[in-house]
This record gives sequence, structure tokens and C-alpha cells, in this order.
Amino acid sequence: MTELIQHRLALVEQGAYKHQRRERVDATALVWDKSPLLRDALLLKASLEAETPFLFPNDRIGFTQSRERFAICRDRDGNEIWTDWSCGNNTPDYAYALNNGLDHIQQAVAQKRAHCLPQQKEYYDAVLIALDAVLAFADRCRDDARKAGADDLYRALCRVPHQKPQTFHEALVMMKLLIFTLRANRNIHLTIGRFDQYMYPFYRHDVKAGIPRETLLELLEEFFLSLNVDTDTYMGAQQGDNGQSLVLGGCDKDGNDAFNDLSRLCMEASMELCLIDPKINLRVNKNTPDELYELGTQMTKLGLGFPQYSNDDVVIPGLIALGYAPQDAADYAVAACWEFTIPGKGMEIPNLRVMNFPLAVLEAVTESLLACDTFDELLAAVKEKICVQSDRLMAQAVFPYIPPSPYLSVFVEGCLEKGLDVSQGGAVYKNYGLLSAGISTAADSLAAINNVIYQVGDYDKQTLLDALAANFEGYAPLRNRLLDCPKMGNNDDAVDTIAGELMETFASHVNGKPHPFGGVFRAGTGSAQGYYTTSVDLGATPDGRKAGEMFGCGFSPSLVARVNGPLSCIQSFTKFDLSKIINGGPLTLEIHDTVFRNGEGIAKMAQLVKFFILRGGHQLQLNTINRDVLLDALAHPENHRNLIVRVWGWSGYFNELDAPFQQHIIKRTEFTI
Amino acid sequence: MKTALVFAIEEFSVYDGPGIRSTVFLKGCPLLCSWCHNPEGQAFHNEICKNTNGCRGCGACVRAGENGALTENSVAACPAHALRWAASSFTPEELVSQLLKNRDLLTGGVTFSGGEPLSHPEFLQDCLQRLCGHLHRAIQTCGYADSDVFRAVLSHTDYVLYDLKLLEDAAHRHFTGVSNAVILENFRILCQSGVPFVVRTPLIPGVTDTEQNLAAIAALLKENGVDRIELLPYHTAAGGKYASLGRVFQPAFDESVAPNPRLELFKKNGIAAVVL
Ligand code: SF4
Ligand code: SF4
Repeated sequence: MTELIQHRLALVEQGAYKHQRRERVDATALVWDKSPLLRDALLLKASLEAETPFLFPNDRIGFTQSRERFAICRDRDGNEIWTDWSCGNNTPDYAYALNNGLDHIQQAVAQKRAHCLPQQKEYYDAVLIALDAVLAFADRCRDDARKAGADDLYRALCRVPHQKPQTFHEALVMMKLLIFTLRANRNIHLTIGRFDQYMYPFYRHDVKAGIPRETLLELLEEFFLSLNVDTDTYMGAQQGDNGQSLVLGGCDKDGNDAFNDLSRLCMEASMELCLIDPKINLRVNKNTPDELYELGTQMTKLGLGFPQYSNDDVVIPGLIALGYAPQDAADYAVAACWEFTIPGKGMEIPNLRVMNFPLAVLEAVTESLLACDTFDELLAAVKEKICVQSDRLMAQAVFPYIPPSPYLSVFVEGCLEKGLDVSQGGAVYKNYGLLSAGISTAADSLAAINNVIYQVGDYDKQTLLDALAANFEGYAPLRNRLLDCPKMGNNDDAVDTIAGELMETFASHVNGKPHPFGGVFRAGTGSAQGYYTTSVDLGATPDGRKAGEMFGCGFSPSLVARVNGPLSCIQSFTKFDLSKIINGGPLTLEIHDTVFRNGEGIAKMAQLVKFFILRGGHQLQLNTINRDVLLDALAHPENHRNLIVRVWGWSGYFNELDAPFQQHIIKRTEFTI
Repeated sequence: MKTALVFAIEEFSVYDGPGIRSTVFLKGCPLLCSWCHNPEGQAFHNEICKNTNGCRGCGACVRAGENGALTENSVAACPAHALRWAASSFTPEELVSQLLKNRDLLTGGVTFSGGEPLSHPEFLQDCLQRLCGHLHRAIQTCGYADSDVFRAVLSHTDYVLYDLKLLEDAAHRHFTGVSNAVILENFRILCQSGVPFVVRTPLIPGVTDTEQNLAAIAALLKENGVDRIELLPYHTAAGGKYASLGRVFQPAFDESVAPNPRLELFKKNGIAAVVL
């Protein structure tokens, strides 16, 4: 790491500049009587006019926020209205901006406006107001850079964003400007997308011009750092939940391997900086060399929770089956966390409602267990409930009101052509995703019923129903019996096959169903917070889980299951065709950080990831067990039954260690990574 | 058919031999090391262990048991699911078929550990033979076994992780309960067998990490042309499992002292020492 980066890192960590932030401005007077389209553009204008971005010494990237928040506006009663968020969770078409420059785009819009239908006029007007505001802001920042002596930044801003960039540095400055202005436009959780692809021509330009790699690495690091300077002001569930992820590698639109020098440079920069942003997603496929998995594992070792892996061989066919054009599918990226979307083409809402699998099981069990003479009859009843619930979720999935976003729609294909804002359906892809929660709890419950009631027959149906109704109070032996039945995550067909059937039922019922906004529904394996919201009010389940206990997160073993280990887990969760359930949602594996202690462990870990991909896994997230997890395990042991800690050639379940020893391990983890 | 008690099958064990491996822990050990971290591996009979953190002290287990002792009925009666049998019984056939389920992922193979795997000679050999040609086979042993048994097992083993703890016999007796004579004898057999192996020494503060002991180990390795050793530093969390078996961990050494690997002793003798 160079001195410049070290110095900047220290400044960002100290965060003194944050105290200079001024209050937000109230733009109500400027916008309250305007139509929604114009209001959005004028609000952006007001936000940018109020900004004088903070500049670090010798800042080459710029655009550090100088207000606590962007401009707001209020309704008649003085309440703030829709000022925090607008269209988001997608990837803008940065390539279009970088390859054309905003002047060119502005001219094209002006021409469109000259020949448009009357009802489109206001939309184009709003776009032009927004582009004017952004260009004026950029010009002012250029002048400020000169005054502050930030000469490199000044020179870059003499070209971008008016014209398209030539150098890597100019392209980085333009990217930062776009990210900043889109945030000012309240487009939250916009991801950076396939950065190593659209930035590559500019990188190549510099390499050809003989600029040393270290210089380019330093520039890239300065850019990455700039994505961390004001994340405390971003909107999101948690700080860090801000959508600043980038996707590296994978194949290009024609299926050729697209991992390049710049992809590698991004990984190096991320590993040197060790910062939360940008989050790295790695696209891989059956041809990915071992060396890349090892590089990824080096990154996992740092304990930041990335890279997250996505498998081209599963995701691309899955998206094509949902109706995405093959070239677009090949260009997929992830929206904020793990939802698969197409950069620059979508206004997708990938996380609208959550399928609650255990609820479907519980409904079928309470209504029909007594009447089902065979397990297959019960399974059929559960499938029926899944279909009914899917229908209910799809009916409820009415498009939420989203304020217009004329500025964002410049960077979403289809909007300028149609003269239709992104919020009104201008985008090419407008699909809705349904999440799912508790798949393992549901499959475990059915496997337990099959074993206890139908195969062994040591308890009768009524006793089971009574036990569930009593939340197992007074039914300890039955509950222990259920808890000891096969559980998903142990490579046991008795339960994994059931999980596959439930998923298949959900996906085939949901996938491709049209919705009124002009897209289709897509089913997924991820739950987001759904694993919590769907479980808190749910009664006891036949896997032995008590009422209100949480499910496992998304696509992972249940918390009451004792899991053999990662090899079995990977096999359990890759037994069914994941390309059919491709809204997104990774299998999460928690790996103790001692695995990464030496090169041998890293190579073995990399092999494990590769196996997951070759077996048809769609998405994988690896966590190194660290201090925070252990502390949480101490406070909430019920949520961490599978937490294994490895100490000197042996392992134990953390929960089962005596308290002082738990404390000890926690203390030790301070120094592990 | 011959069965054995298995108290754990650890998947993805990365430090128990080459490649990705599964390690099988067989229950029962002839030693009683003062620092033993696997107390459930010591007794040859099955035991009930209690998750002391999950237990609510309701007493249902004792009421369901016999004369104050816990039984199968106690395990079933616990409302907190806090009791379980430490081990499950397997036939070689069952164990091998379970291991082969992960065959595609085991780039390394299987390691038999314990307890002491050589204390189950018939079962172990049966498993090793069944695995022949399917998976790479390793054993992790303290070396305390009849030499004929050891030779016989070696002929079905691809790799050995061999523990050398204390070279002075009196100290060995004191800290592990048995003499090391047969262990040293078997070590010679191992060195002559041609089977690849690695020596491992647990670093117990003030016990095995003394200059005298480690120098003696280094000399023994040099004498036998062994150029590598893995050192496993003691960690106080070793006692974590005792309470779950209703036992008290009473190490006969000072736990709070950090173990000293004395790497220079090995370097001097041309031995590569790796601290795990
Ligand atoms: S040899 Fe190993 S398993 Fe046996 S008592 Fe000693 S440390 Fe425990
Ligand atoms: S029955 Fe379970 S919870 Fe109750 S005292 Fe025994 S072990 Fe503890």
C-alpha cells in the first residue's frame, strides 16, 4: 500500500471531515407545486446546488458528501415525503454513460424531446433538468478542485462527465460522480455491477500508454476508499447494507471468459484495503482455474464475508428459462445483496414477498394429517398449501408506489427510447421476485413425520398434533425423538429429496406467472430478513422446533439441526436443479478461521468452493467464524447449535463447551485473523 | 459383526493429513493423558453427555434414570434436548458407506483417530480393507498397541500421524498413565515400514515442551532420518468437554503458561517444525 493510500485511509478512519458536514436543505418551496416527474428532477437540482463536496489533500477522486443528508421536501402538514428513497436495488447502465459522455446523451434527449408525443414531453423535460443540474454541479466541482489545488481531479473534470473519459483515472472520476449524483437522487442500493468489464477499455488505454500497474492500483484503491467515506449517511437496514457491490469475472455476452487484469487488480485493491466497500462478488463457472478460487479464499480469510460466488453455469440458463435474452442473461450481475439482475436493463423488485415453507407444512398437518393414510398423501397436501400460499403472495404483490426517477432512467435501457420513466415501466425487465424461508425446517418436519408416524409408528398422529398444540410442553420424549430424525444438511436423501420437491413445487407454480406491471414472477432461495419475520409468529413445528424460534437464514440448515460438516451440507443443498429457483439466495457456510491458518488450508478451502460450483450450486457465501459470532453464540446459544470451534487438532460444539472455556475461545479470537 | 463406537466424524478436517479429509474418532484409549482434550474418547463404553449450557436443572433426567444414574430414559425425558449419547455404534460396513458418501469431495481421504484407533484392531483393519482402492487411508495414533497389531494395520495404511509425547519413561508414565516403551518400539517399526508418516508432538507447558524432551525428540527423529515434525500448542480450552461428562478437568501442569515450541532445537537438527 502506498503512502498516499495509507494517509487517506487514516483520514477516513479518523473521520474528522464528517464533523464539517452541514445540515440538509429543505427544498419544499422549490418543488411542492410541481408534478412528480419535475419534482424529482428539481429536488436533485436542489440537492446538488446545496453540495460543496469535501476534498482531501491531493484528492484525485473527489465527491465526498458535505451535507448530513440530501435535500428534503415536506407535505402540507410538514411531514417529510418520499425524500429518502426512490427506485433502487438495480444496476445502472454505467457503460452507456462512460462510452458516450453526458453531453452526447443530453443532445440525444433534446432531440427526442423535439419529436416526442405531448404526453412524453414532461418526462424529457425532467430528464434535461436533471442532466443540466448534474453538469452544472460537475463544473462547479471542477472549479473548486482547481482552487483547492487538486490538479489531477481538476484536469479529469475538464473532460468528464461532459465528454467520455479516455484514461482510467477519468473513468474513475466519472464513476464516482455518477454514484454520488444517483445517491443524491435517492436511488438507494444501486450496485456497481460488472466494473471489471465496463472499465476495462480505460484500463487498457492506460496500460498501453505505459502507465505502471502500481500507479493504476493506487488510483483504484483511492476510488475504492472513496466508496467508504460517507457510508454512514447511506440509507439501509444496517450500515454496510448499501448495495455497493461489484461483480468480477464470469463470461462475457458471448460466453467467453471475461476475468481480466482489471478483475485481478480489483481483488488486490480490496484485499489491501480490507474495507467493507465495495463488496466483491465473483462469477465463476466450470472453467474457472483453481488459482482464482485460491485468490477468492485469500479474500475470505480476511473475514469480511466476501467474495460471494455465483455460478454462471446455473444462473445463466436459469435466467434464460425465465425469459431473459441469452446475451442479457450472460451479462448478469447482482442487485444489492444476491438477487440476480441485468445491469442497465431492469427495474426489478426481486424481494417482494416471502414464501413461508414451514407454514405450509403446519397448515397441511393440522388440517389433513389425521386423514392422510400415507406419507405421499400428506406430501401432496403440503404441496397444495404451497401453491395456495404462492397464489396469495402473488396477489398481494402489488407494485408499491415508487416515485419517478427521471435521472436514473437515463441509465436504464428502454426508458429514453420509450419516453417512459423507469418507475412507470420504461425498463426492459420488470420482474418480481418471491423470497422463501425455512426450507430446511419444512423438509425436516416432513421427514420427521414420515419416520415417526408412517415408518416406525412409535407415536400416533393425535399425539403429535397435541404435542404441537402444546408447544411440546409435557412431550419431551416425542420432541427429542423428532429432533433426532434426519435433518437437511447431512446429505441424507430421506430429507433432501423432500426439500427438492417443495422447492420445485414453489418454483414451478411461481416462475413465469405474469404480473400487471409487465413482467413475470421468479422464485428464489434467499430469505433476506424473511427467516425472522416468518418464524416469530409460527407455532411449534414437527422437526422439534418450538414456537417462535427462528429458521435458519435463507438457504441453509435449520438451527435445531446438528450438521455433519461442510461436505455433507454442500451435497444436501445441491441435490436439486437450482437453475429453476434463480431469484437468488446463497448457501451460507461458516468456516472456522483456523482453516485459513496456512497455505494448505487455503488450497483445501478453495477446492471446497470449486466442488460446490461443479456440483451445480448457484451461489455461495462463506463466513469465517469470528469473535462477533462467538459473542452472539454466547448470548443466544439456541441460534448457533452448529457452531464448531476448532482448537489444536480437535473440534467441539461451541455450545457444549463449559462457560469459562467459551470465554477463553472468544478471547483468543481477538488475535486469530 | 464387530462394531465400534464412533464419537465424531469430522468432515473437512484440513490438518489431519494430505488433502480434504474426514476424520473418524473411535471411542476408547489406553492412555489417560493429563491434557487430553477428548475426554469422551477415553472410556471404551458409551456415555451420556450433558450440554451444561442448555440444561435447566429440572431434574427430569434423574427421575427418569435408575438410582440416580442417567439412562436411555433420561435422554428421552430431557425437555431441553440437553442429553445425548457421546458415541454411536457402527459396523465397518456402515461406517465405510457413510464415509464413501463424501467420496467425490475427499481429495485427501479418511483419517482414523480417537481415542486410540489401534485399540480397535479388528474393526480398524476391516474398515481399512474396505476403503482400499476407494480413499486414501490415514491413522492418527499414540502408538500404544501390540507391535503385531501395529504391523498388521500398517500394511493397510497409506499414511500415519504418529504422536510422540514424552521420551523419558517415568514422565510418560506420570502424565499418561503408561510406559512409552512399546510406543518407541512401534516408532522404529514405523520408520522401517516405508509407510509415509508425520510425527506430532503436543506442546504441553512444562511437560512436553521442556528443552530436555524436545531435544530428545529432535535427536530421535534425526537418528531415524525424519526431517519434519508438527507441533500442536496446548490451549486451555482443552478442558471444555469434561463438564459435559460430569468430570472435572484437573491438569497436572500450569495451564496459564504459554507453550514454548523451541523451534531452534529442531532447526539445529535439520528438522522442519510446523506449529499447527
Ligand atoms: S492419547 Fe490422545 S485420546 Fe488418549 S488420552 Fe491421550 S490425548 Fe486423550
Ligand atoms: S432433564 Fe435435561 S434440563 Fe433437566 S436437569 Fe436433566 S439435563 Fe438438565
